[in-house]
Amino acid sequence: MPLIDPVTMSSSIAKGAVAQAQAQAQVQSPSKGKEASWTLLPVQIKQTPAAQAARHSLPALLAALFVFRFDALVTDPVSTMITAIPAVAALQLGYALVCLPVVGSQTAKPGRKPRPGEKNLKKIVNSDGTSPNAPIATLLSLLLTLFSTPLLHAAMVLFGAPALSHTAHTLLCAAHLAVLALFPLFYAHGVDGAAWVALASFRAPLDEPFGGLAGALVGAWLGAVPIPLDWDREWQRWPVTILCGIYGGYLLGRVLGGTVGFGRRLAA
Amino acid sequence: MPPPNPTKGKAPPPLDYKPISSQYAAAKQAKAASEADHDRHVTLRERQREALEAARKKSYETRWLWTVGFWIWMLCIHLVGIAYFTSGFLLTRLILDEKSICDAPPTLNISSSPIHILPPWKGKGTVDGGCWHPKTFERAVIVLIDALRYDFTVPVGDDAAFHDAFPFMYDAAIRSPNNAFLRPFIADPPTATLQRLKGLTTGTLPTFVDVGSSFSGTAIEEDNLLMQLRDAGKRIVHLGDDTWDALFPGYFEGNLSRPYDSFNVWDLHTVDNGVVEHIFPLMGRTSEWDLLIGHCLGVDHAGHRYGPDHPEMTKKLRQMDTFVRDLAETIDDDTLLIVMGDHGMDSKGDHGGESDEEIESAVWMYSSRSVFGRTKPEFVTPPSTAKTRPVNQIDLVPTLALLLGIPIPYNNLGRPIEEAFSGPAGNSWGNLAAAERTAAAGLKRYQASYFAARNIEQATTPGSPTDLWNQAEDLVLDTKGKNKPDWAAVYSAFAAYQQETLQRCKSLWARFDLKNMILGIVIMALGVVALLVYVSRGEDDDDDIIDDPELDAAEKSLQMQGFKAEGEASPGEDLEKRMVSAALFGALPVLGGGLLQAYLSGVGDYHRGVGFAALTSIATVMVTLFESRETLFRLVPRTLWGWMAVVFTLSQSIGFASNSYTIWEDSILVFFITTFGFVTALFALRLPSLADRYLSIYHSVLFVLLGRLASFSKLCREEQMPYCTSTYYASATSSTSAPWQLAIPFLVVLILPSIVKAYLVPTRSYEGMAPTWISYAFRAGLFMSAVYWALDAVGNGNWIDGIPDKLLKNFSVYTAQTVLSLALVAGTTAFVWAPPCVSIITSATRAGHAQVTVLGYGNAHGARYLLLPLNILGACILLSKPMGGGALALMAWQILSLAEILDLNALTASPIGPVMLAVLGAFHFFTTGHQAVLSSIQWDSAFIPLFTLRYPWSPLAVALNTFAGQIVATTAVPLLVLWKVGPKKKGLLERVSRALGVLVAYYAVEALATMAWAGWLRRHLMLYRVFSPKFMTAAVALLVVDIVGIVVSLAGVRCNTMAISEVFGWAE
Repeated sequence: MPLIDPVTMSSSIAKGAVAQAQAQAQVQSPSKGKEASWTLLPVQIKQTPAAQAARHSLPALLAALFVFRFDALVTDPVSTMITAIPAVAALQLGYALVCLPVVGSQTAKPGRKPRPGEKNLKKIVNSDGTSPNAPIATLLSLLLTLFSTPLLHAAMVLFGAPALSHTAHTLLCAAHLAVLALFPLFYAHGVDGAAWVALASFRAPLDEPFGGLAGALVGAWLGAVPIPLDWDREWQRWPVTILCGIYGGYLLGRVLGGTVGFGRRLAA
Repeated sequence: MPPPNPTKGKAPPPLDYKPISSQYAAAKQAKAASEADHDRHVTLRERQREALEAARKKSYETRWLWTVGFWIWMLCIHLVGIAYFTSGFLLTRLILDEKSICDAPPTLNISSSPIHILPPWKGKGTVDGGCWHPKTFERAVIVLIDALRYDFTVPVGDDAAFHDAFPFMYDAAIRSPNNAFLRPFIADPPTATLQRLKGLTTGTLPTFVDVGSSFSGTAIEEDNLLMQLRDAGKRIVHLGDDTWDALFPGYFEGNLSRPYDSFNVWDLHTVDNGVVEHIFPLMGRTSEWDLLIGHCLGVDHAGHRYGPDHPEMTKKLRQMDTFVRDLAETIDDDTLLIVMGDHGMDSKGDHGGESDEEIESAVWMYSSRSVFGRTKPEFVTPPSTAKTRPVNQIDLVPTLALLLGIPIPYNNLGRPIEEAFSGPAGNSWGNLAAAERTAAAGLKRYQASYFAARNIEQATTPGSPTDLWNQAEDLVLDTKGKNKPDWAAVYSAFAAYQQETLQRCKSLWARFDLKNMILGIVIMALGVVALLVYVSRGEDDDDDIIDDPELDAAEKSLQMQGFKAEGEASPGEDLEKRMVSAALFGALPVLGGGLLQAYLSGVGDYHRGVGFAALTSIATVMVTLFESRETLFRLVPRTLWGWMAVVFTLSQSIGFASNSYTIWEDSILVFFITTFGFVTALFALRLPSLADRYLSIYHSVLFVLLGRLASFSKLCREEQMPYCTSTYYASATSSTSAPWQLAIPFLVVLILPSIVKAYLVPTRSYEGMAPTWISYAFRAGLFMSAVYWALDAVGNGNWIDGIPDKLLKNFSVYTAQTVLSLALVAGTTAFVWAPPCVSIITSATRAGHAQVTVLGYGNAHGARYLLLPLNILGACILLSKPMGGGALALMAWQILSLAEILDLNALTASPIGPVMLAVLGAFHFFTTGHQAVLSSIQWDSAFIPLFTLRYPWSPLAVALNTFAGQIVATTAVPLLVLWKVGPKKKGLLERVSRALGVLVAYYAVEALATMAWAGWLRRHLMLYRVFSPKFMTAAVALLVVDIVGIVVSLAGVRCNTMAISEVFGWAE
């Protein structure tokens, strides 16, 4: 007898038909899911001279800032991270405003040949008053960055950061991670669900902001490696190594994502 | 056609599988009858079907046996590898059989015309006058207070329960320094009583191998104090700890001695009261004995059971104070009283390792005569900490020997204690120098024979022992001729010689047998490679086994027509058979040859044959694997998950080369668990179905949260301080649970069964026996373990007055025994006989056809198998104390989430599942209050279900407590494979065996890495504190996992498949 329903084996034909329909739906849906993330395009850096100049100079500035403040960070992590936040935020803000296309400005190119009539529909939607608005997008991105900081903090605690002590340390570290890696993405993608699903599942094509995120996450992960060592170095203090990993990984990821890796995908 | 009787199908689901299967068969027959009309044909087909079923069952059983055979071979390889390495790694010392002789002092042989420091004394060379030195006492009373840490005996002035409760010895030493002295007494690790007694009587350093025999001591054959006394015709009486009886069988006066069971750590008073009761009458009958040993265990047991900081410890120390005070009153002028500890205890009251607190003990000597002196006035006050002026424990041996006038045991490495020979005025330098020289000469004699036996040249370079000895002897010659001899300088010279020699001996005995170590590592490494190749049969093969029901039906009918039962074999089906045959083929000739060769040559190196047999059998197995196109190249991971599995396994194992990563292993495991959860949560976004996405994210987040929550239960090791807070017990200096922790087992009772139910309900698998077993039997077991721990706390804290300790203990032990028999005996029986967790409903469709619905069909394998890990979990929760039980409950929840995650992300065939399970097992080793150090073994868990030590139950209880995490993880391996698998799936045994292979590979890689690192870093400062215990933990964990995998997981899968196939027909 045919056994179909995976939960309640049922031999009824009616059930079988339902299951068949479900199976068909399942066959179709992966391609649908693929389509949603596959259409996400890499974020193009603006072609203006200022943008091109900033795209190279700003990472160097960030790196310089980190190196310059490293000693202070080791001696007093909390106050150094607090004072650095505005500077880092300003650099990232400048990066977003000068280099990145604001959310909505970069219309998605259809991945397949448009059917007649579809293009018109899109145009209507686009011109439907949702024209890109940089100041609003910036404000929104800053707010989102602020809100995501506690979530990152919680994630760090889950990875084993001290849960009850060192709250300021961890929170500030999370804030740096948010400002570096998340803020440009919020600016470029807004709250586009499909885009974020593509980003979070690491299916999005590499570009500067996404490369930065991937690099910062991997860097933060690797940053935990030297902590347990009994070398008794000052820089092993929480969260110096994590912050090192975040900055190093972010800068490397951003540069690679914008150059060699541009447009490539991390996973099929 | 009439529809089948509907009332039959609506009856409540019966609990036995026979009714279900008959019902099912009836329903099936009814349906078959409704479709086909010629009955004869049906019966013929039925008979063919039965024959096919029988054939498939038989082939399954054969395959299962071969699979088990393969795993037994793997276990043997691991055993041989570990045994080989251990035999080369754990220190060995050549035991010399020579004995010291009374009239042959070692000073005789050192030069042709011996010079004596002391003038001849009356009775020189006889036991009556003193063999090698004038004797001071006729007899001695040794009171050994087990685990008497030095700071228990000196004033400290804080509020700790273990301080200032035992002031008598300190006060006496200050009040009358000529009658008593107190000094720190440093034990040589390992700090287990058995090893310490060996050191305290022979004067040599113990070796590590001895640790294993601590549960059942073995007789000392070396020259020792007791042997010397016995040979001199002295009578020895022993009271207390029966370890002495094991070490010195037949030494003690049978009618006066009173041995007591030593390992019942729950019993604080029987041994002590016995010693106190019997020692005082003996003090009035001094003519009947010459050495009286009283070994008290109460302080040690209070430490193990409660930790030092507990009112019981105060009581115990006060009792000892009174006891020693009273005993000192009864000491006559010819008797020496020694009170000492054999080792200390760590902050939680345990011992075994080599931390400062474990090795710092105290020694106090008392005489009613004026005997003892101090060479400096400031030495009158006993040192405030054990860091100043400590005495080595081996120093007791020459001191006692010379004081009682017997020869110093041949193998002694110690030196006389200054106070005992410096005279009441503290200026008898001649006497002191003579004693020191006698001991040093004995040491030199021992060294000479040791080097001769081992064929080692003694160094004569400046600063070497030989050089120091010659200097000291020259000084004797010089000083002897002078008018006012400066014996103090001579004394210092010999002391320097002794210290240098002791150092040399320590490093000499840290000598490893590299050949055996390397052979052990090679066997382990090749075993790991063979296992990996076996495991890497790969994800591709899984796709080959097609689960299409139509294909199966077609195959079945083909088989029925052709009636070829055994003909069909899925690819790789008989791989295990070929491997086991190859292993035997490779092993037997070499094993036989090796044994024969060892027998003929008479050297007795039987182990060589075993080692080479292991190597050749691995070689033949590898050849078989390569013949069936299993190669190492398949091991290179091709997916992110494969890479994660490799990174988690390798990075951890590489990290064990560093003491820091070994010390912080628990935090690293949390990091990996969270990493896995985050990656699965992110990858869940790739799932096409929105519902699957949410479920997968939910389970991933849950997995991470539960792991982090469990990580709050921990017991810090000394090296983690001060960055770690222990939460496993009430406080860092206790080994009892805090009152709030008692709520945890009750929470587990409330929550855990409901959680398990919640994982079964979605697949409609909460049917059959599941409701009864999970909601009632399992819950009742959990409730009783909660009651057990509540009773335990009542007893520990004396919360209720008037309840006799005995009654409480009786009640709690029987409760524990009930839990264990419910979980292990009744649970196993129920698991073997349980029907599948399904319910069959037969009803009529509107069209008038018979419709059979099987609730729980989709998870028929997984839901039923789940009952087995739950049983094991129940037993482990009881034995793991409240905090550990809570952690294990979280672990069970995590495992269920892991199974869901793997199923949702289609990862059941990926190695990441078993690797995560192994990581969970390793992680919950820590959350159940363990560390990779000897002192964290919770010996008291042996007495949870027992009153006294009983073999093999006590070691089994300790093993279940220690490796609860790994054991639960191993029993859950089949769960990951079987979860959400219906009864028609093929090749499950192979999949389980391979998943088990991945899990074992994780632990085998860990054991191999720790083994290799321990061997490589054998001169590292932290060898005995970090690397060696980590290796031992990893090796034992591997063997436990191997055994549990065979005895529980594979056997469980067999029972499960039998029961499922009995009902649904054989798919395998």
